[in-house]
Amino acid sequence: MTTEFTADLVIVGAGPAGLYATYYAGFRGLSVVVVDALDQVGGQMSVLYPEKPVFDVAGFPRVRAQDLVDSLIEQAALAEPTYLLGHDAVGLEQLPDGIVVTTDRGTRVRAGALLITGGMGRFTPRPLPAGGDFVGRGLRYAVPKPAELAGKDVLIVGGGDSAVDWALCLEPLAASVTVVHRRDAFRAHERSVSELRSSSVRVLTPHEVLAVRGGGRVEEVDVAGPDGVETLRVDEIVAALGFKADLAALTSWGIGLSKRHIAVDRSMRTTLPRVFAAGDITDFEGKVRLISVGFGEAALAVNNLVPLVRPDLPMVPGHSSDAA
Amino acid sequence: MAYVVTEACIDVQDRACMEECPVDCIYPGDRMMYIHPDECVDCGKCMPACPNDAIFWEYKTPPEQAPFIEANALFVRSHGLGGGGEDADPIDEDHPLVAQRRPR
Repeated sequence: MTTEFTADLVIVGAGPAGLYATYYAGFRGLSVVVVDALDQVGGQMSVLYPEKPVFDVAGFPRVRAQDLVDSLIEQAALAEPTYLLGHDAVGLEQLPDGIVVTTDRGTRVRAGALLITGGMGRFTPRPLPAGGDFVGRGLRYAVPKPAELAGKDVLIVGGGDSAVDWALCLEPLAASVTVVHRRDAFRAHERSVSELRSSSVRVLTPHEVLAVRGGGRVEEVDVAGPDGVETLRVDEIVAALGFKADLAALTSWGIGLSKRHIAVDRSMRTTLPRVFAAGDITDFEGKVRLISVGFGEAALAVNNLVPLVRPDLPMVPGHSSDAA
Repeated sequence: MAYVVTEACIDVQDRACMEECPVDCIYPGDRMMYIHPDECVDCGKCMPACPNDAIFWEYKTPPEQAPFIEANALFVRSHGLGGGGEDADPIDEDHPLVAQRRPR
């Protein structure tokens, strides 16, 4: 089934630059659709370092990355955006009076302009090497709804915060939880690791998943450790092995690139008509990849694309304080 | 800007950094790992992953390790590395700075 959306602006990438651009487009009176490959907004701040303090956002001497994301979501709500999360933007069509972005789920977004705030690229979970084709049949990369794993024998693979947090969250729900990590040391917060060690979760380190078997669905898993190979009865595997980022389809859209980034001019225009970019993904002479620069580029891009998609509106924004 | 692998990696090559790097910009040499400064996105995930504390942010590299900033860059560029370390062909060489260090 094809779903179609129409908006003044489609933004690809729901990281800080994309969220701020969403707010800004709303402030300028544009309707907005935001597309992101992940199931959550926040981009690298939420995926890579939600707990890290950030010190270089104007007006915030110190702010936790996820808190900043939460505030950006609240600010972006002004635009009443439509979020298409878990949608990989795969196609771009140029029309005489606009563009169409298509996603891997067959959704089409028709808009007056496209703003790419793709950061370091599309995040995809690192696959479990022994996982074969069990994805969706007992092998998953995230636990958005822990209740789905209630009463199951769960195996979690990984040693970072996600692995440990999911183990702790599933412990009271699941029939059993086992964590397998290649090293003895976990990279998660010390406090959660000690909570893990004193919980009923079985922790196997240094262990690796050798093989996954099952007829149709995951049934058993061989894990190898210093004392040999053990076969575990498993209903659900959660592979929390981190993420990789790549520019994915963007490179096939014919946009002028500069190394692994999108070349833009001083008004954040790319080499394609009606396609703009802002934030970490852009490159130009003197570029600095900082969140504060990304915010500035987002505002610059939106103001410069406004007259293109809404010829009745001026490029100059006026002051946001006038709206109060 | 980039993160840099320094002396403490020599003859260790744990590779935890490679597992952590979201852009696969860390390349193995013969005796140590090297970060590609043009591919590194400065996320900082590799630094705490290293069991040997061998990785530093370029601008906070201790002075005695500073030569490794150039060594990382020169090594990957001179070998034409790029596009991902996990599938890169093995290189049985190192930057001259490494060759001077005696095997541990």
